[in-house]
Amino acid sequence: MKWWLYIALKQLFPTGRVASFFAGVSVLGVALGVLGLFGTQSVMNGFHSQIGTKLRDTTGDVIIRQNGRPMYNLKSFVERLKKMDGVKAVEQTARGPVMMLVNNVPTFPVLRSFDTITGECALPIAEKNFVRMGNIDKLDDDSIIIGQYMASNAGISVGDTVEILSPTMLDRIKKDEVPMPARLEVVGLLASGFSDVDSNIALVSLRRMRDLYGLGEGTHAVVLRLDENQDCTKFARNLQRELKYPMRASTWLTSNEGFLRVIKMEKVMMSLIIVLIILVASFSICISLYTSVLRKTREIGLMGAMGARPYQIALMYCFQGFLIGVLGAFAGLALTVLVLHFREPLVQLIVGRQALMEFYHFAHLPVKYELADALWACGFSIVLCTLAGFFPAIRAARLKSSEAMRNE
Amino acid sequence: MNSGENILTSADAVLKAVDIRKKFKSPDAREIEVLRGVNLEVLRGQSVSLRGESGAGKTTFLNILAGLETPTSGEIYWDGDRVDNLSNSKQASLRGGFMGFVFQNYCLVPELNALENVCLASRILGTFNATLKDRAVELLEKVGLKDRIKHLPSQLSGGEKQRVAVARAIINSPRIILADEPTGNLDETTANDVMEMFLNLCSEQKTALLLITHNPDFAKLTDKRVYLTAGELA
Repeated sequence: MKWWLYIALKQLFPTGRVASFFAGVSVLGVALGVLGLFGTQSVMNGFHSQIGTKLRDTTGDVIIRQNGRPMYNLKSFVERLKKMDGVKAVEQTARGPVMMLVNNVPTFPVLRSFDTITGECALPIAEKNFVRMGNIDKLDDDSIIIGQYMASNAGISVGDTVEILSPTMLDRIKKDEVPMPARLEVVGLLASGFSDVDSNIALVSLRRMRDLYGLGEGTHAVVLRLDENQDCTKFARNLQRELKYPMRASTWLTSNEGFLRVIKMEKVMMSLIIVLIILVASFSICISLYTSVLRKTREIGLMGAMGARPYQIALMYCFQGFLIGVLGAFAGLALTVLVLHFREPLVQLIVGRQALMEFYHFAHLPVKYELADALWACGFSIVLCTLAGFFPAIRAARLKSSEAMRNE
Repeated sequence: MNSGENILTSADAVLKAVDIRKKFKSPDAREIEVLRGVNLEVLRGQSVSLRGESGAGKTTFLNILAGLETPTSGEIYWDGDRVDNLSNSKQASLRGGFMGFVFQNYCLVPELNALENVCLASRILGTFNATLKDRAVELLEKVGLKDRIKHLPSQLSGGEKQRVAVARAIINSPRIILADEPTGNLDETTANDVMEMFLNLCSEQKTALLLITHNPDFAKLTDKRVYLTAGELA
């Protein structure tokens, strides 16, 4: 082992002790910085991934619309879509706001259709058991499945009857007709896990939806579900070339672009703020190593006298910074995994689960580890710590042995 | 001015200084000549004591001899080879094997135990191996620290620390040891013990010694005695 490496190790881990106080505190400081940085990134990745999955599950991969106007005669078009590579399911849907009366108390959910005749659905309602206390198969023209939070807020239970009034009924009122609300029985609760959906959406049959909105055989959109490995953006771009104006293909990503961008921006901003922790830790390391150089001036002088070259003395201090960075980074990664493993009780203790559901729409704090984030956090810490050792190293290397030995 | 040719007569000179001059600039920009053409020769296995008043330039002279400081003029020879015109890096690589150092303040690395401190000199030289480790143990036994091998400097007395420093100076079997007031921080009894052990060890290893001391009794124990006064050797 090179002597400068040996001395650097001994200064950090002196004989007879596990580690010096300086080494222990420095490694801990860096580890906490990495915990902050990598932990935040992992949680934000989790949010992004979880929200992405929820949005995809509740929006569909690719959505074809016609400027918000109903589309008709789509049979051959839908058949063509079904035959395309990578398409898992194609669903014609109608969607729109209605007024729902329960015990004469109005609420205003958005109805989304489900084709009860063909059973084709572009959302994984059945696969992921989105319907609780009931079954999607029970849905027919006289029934409704209501979002679980909406049901809870309005005091609706499975088996209750609700009355639905659609905006198109206003036209009938203008014609002095008295529109009769549709009376539908609640046959299940929608529990997608995305509180925005579970608080606002209700499912009815496509035929009922067409009736409520006066669509005839028309639909508001054609929703596609793609295979897992399909790039929906690329698929939508290719599909757009085949569509005639004013039909437009969009993806769940573009439909929710603003929301997803906010989450991404949040991750960047939080990472930038937490980087300061590592910066502070590296300054502390720099100051400690610099103090060490001043304190060990005579020893450094002696090493020079014994034949040590200036660059070797510099390496001795640079390596200490580097090693603290490496140990701190790995300890930080381990600490991150440990803390995030026990995140549920921590979240419960700090903010409460209700806050998590209220602001982020899910019941559990999601985490997604990404190698790039780990490498970035570790690399950044190691580089900063090595730089922190660089300045004391320069000072040590510039010491003249003759002057250092006379140092009082 | 003395010429080098007149002084350097012995082929056995381990260390030679020829007409060494050293000038410093004082804070008020005056030039102070600390060494005024100093000549010195230390032969193989010879012990030389260098005395002088405080501020006479003894340590400066020692640093110049060790290549740690550059003389204003003059020549330095190590084993007959001129070294004052070599680069610092080249001097450093030669110095590790050529000379050992003992200082008044011991200069032990506090994180290393006695054995590790002794071995440090050979680690820096790049010659450290199991044989040298055995030799370090042997040297520590010789200086009376058999039971203190694993002790840290903080667990050793002043005399013991200086014994470790002596063992460290000798581990690489240098041609010469430069000792700058090695007993300056020790009480009289300990100083006598350390000096006796030091001189015996040098004699046993046939290592030359240049000893800076204020103590005339210690100076008497050396083969050659020189006194630095007014920048010249007497």
